[in-house]
Amino acid sequence: MVNRMVFANLVTRPVRTLVAVMAIAVEVVLILMVVGLTSGLLEEVAKRTQGVGADIMVQPQTTSLFMGFTGAPMPIQIQDRLAQVPQVEAVAPVMLQMSTASGVSLIYGIDTESFDQVTGGFRYLEGRGLEQPDEVLVDDIFAHSQGLHAGDDLELLNHPLRLAGIVEHGKGARIFMKIDALQDMMGSVGKASVFFVKLSDPDHTGNVLAQFREILPNYQLRDMREYLSLMTSSNIPGLGNFINVMIGLAISIGLLVIFISIYSTVVERTREIGILKSMGASKKYIVNLVLRETTLLTILGIGTGIGLSYLVRSLIVHTFPTMTILLTGEWMLRASLIALATSLLGASYPALKATRQDAIQALAYE
Amino acid sequence: MIQVENLRKIYRLGSVDVPALRGVNLSVKEGEFVSIVGPSGCGKSTLLYVIGGLTAPTSGRVLLDGVDLGDLKEGQRTELRKQKIGFIFQRFNLLPTLTAFGNIALASDIAGTLNGTTRSEMNSVIQMLGLQDRLKHRPGELSGGEQQRVAIARAVVNRPKILLADEPTGNLDTENSEVVLNMLKELNHKFRQTILMITHNPEVATYSDRIVNMRDGHVLDH
Repeated sequence: MVNRMVFANLVTRPVRTLVAVMAIAVEVVLILMVVGLTSGLLEEVAKRTQGVGADIMVQPQTTSLFMGFTGAPMPIQIQDRLAQVPQVEAVAPVMLQMSTASGVSLIYGIDTESFDQVTGGFRYLEGRGLEQPDEVLVDDIFAHSQGLHAGDDLELLNHPLRLAGIVEHGKGARIFMKIDALQDMMGSVGKASVFFVKLSDPDHTGNVLAQFREILPNYQLRDMREYLSLMTSSNIPGLGNFINVMIGLAISIGLLVIFISIYSTVVERTREIGILKSMGASKKYIVNLVLRETTLLTILGIGTGIGLSYLVRSLIVHTFPTMTILLTGEWMLRASLIALATSLLGASYPALKATRQDAIQALAYE
Repeated sequence: MIQVENLRKIYRLGSVDVPALRGVNLSVKEGEFVSIVGPSGCGKSTLLYVIGGLTAPTSGRVLLDGVDLGDLKEGQRTELRKQKIGFIFQRFNLLPTLTAFGNIALASDIAGTLNGTTRSEMNSVIQMLGLQDRLKHRPGELSGGEQQRVAIARAVVNRPKILLADEPTGNLDTENSEVVLNMLKELNHKFRQTILMITHNPEVATYSDRIVNMRDGHVLDH
């Protein structure tokens, strides 16, 4: 009977129901999008970095896991010292540079010979490899997003460049150019941001890392097998706080709207609450009624929010093909529980207010 | 059944005390149909609400079936109301979002007897009040007389010992008033329910077994 009454209340007041459902949906979408965008970006970068195929990555001590935030402070001569260590098959120095010309993209400045040795070489979908300093390669996703073809002119880092070829995605960055050309552009001649190291036998990674530590005691040495698991928001300085702030904002929106919505419902239904009281409805019965209505609104809002999240993701990925948004079951569950807790918290005061209403005044309410 | 002793109720409006009941004494026997008649503002509605446990008296006692309402906490008064009292209001006070059947079933749900109350019991009340063809309609789709019959069905479906009716014909035309009053009389005879009805209309009061007159917060005779 209570469910029937709850359902009837929601159907009878469609605008209020829609506003409350949409508010909860926005809360869920905000949470899922913020987490999905950040984790998607991190996972995508991690997978592409792993896709280089290296076994060890050497970076400066103070660098971020999220490559590209660091300049190019390492002397390129380190390449030769690392290459002398037994079991090392190839060492590829890479210079990293962020470009904001077409969204935020990471550019790899590469030495084509050593990079091919580490990665096994690019798979060309159009055009050819890098030959001239003013040439770039882009992956198929970037090319598709910008409508580029081999031979096209493009501008990156305020420099006119020419697209030599389009390669299959998944090998570190979306844009590649010769390392010496990038060094010249950025005024970092003879420097590298990272060294990718390929071993003849990945089982010796531990031994090689130990030897690297002796040679380069002040550098960050990473086993690439661990890299993906390290790429989480908690390991990126400030990112965890950003996510928490955004989730807090989403919770505040949900809390306020549910509070206002349920509070106005309680006020609007003062007379009905008086009737229920005159019929012997207990406080528990009235609180149950209000909270069930809130729960149903929240369930509808969560469902709408998850559906909208998929829709928003499709729209974003369609508009910006280089972006990755990760919608995980774990975060859908978390967002749902957050929305439910927020809603019940927001509805608890109006529910208590309903039980405290004077029955006679409530019955006289117009 | 109902024993009211020196009952006083004072409402406080801002800094002004407004006495509504000034020492009311009243006794209603089980199965009796009593009308309380008086002009607007004489305190008859307040008396009904205090007897129904909707508000506490300032002083004095109300005993229902020997239980002093003054000894009960709010939750206990609610429980007593659920078990023993049915209210009928002048403005019907039906829930607008529920159908006629929903409004009647709601009373059983609150009493916790929805599953226990057999459909035939509910049907007998519905049949008696002639509502069988109007059950799927919402209050807004019913006439005043039909709405009041639904309200009566809701009040009596759990077979409360006491029916408290606050101007039950106040919003009805003469024809519907007669129907409602005859139904109350029939309920009183058939189920031996004690009925306390408030009205300002002496003609309406003639349907009851006994008439009690009120003026200025006092019972003039009883």
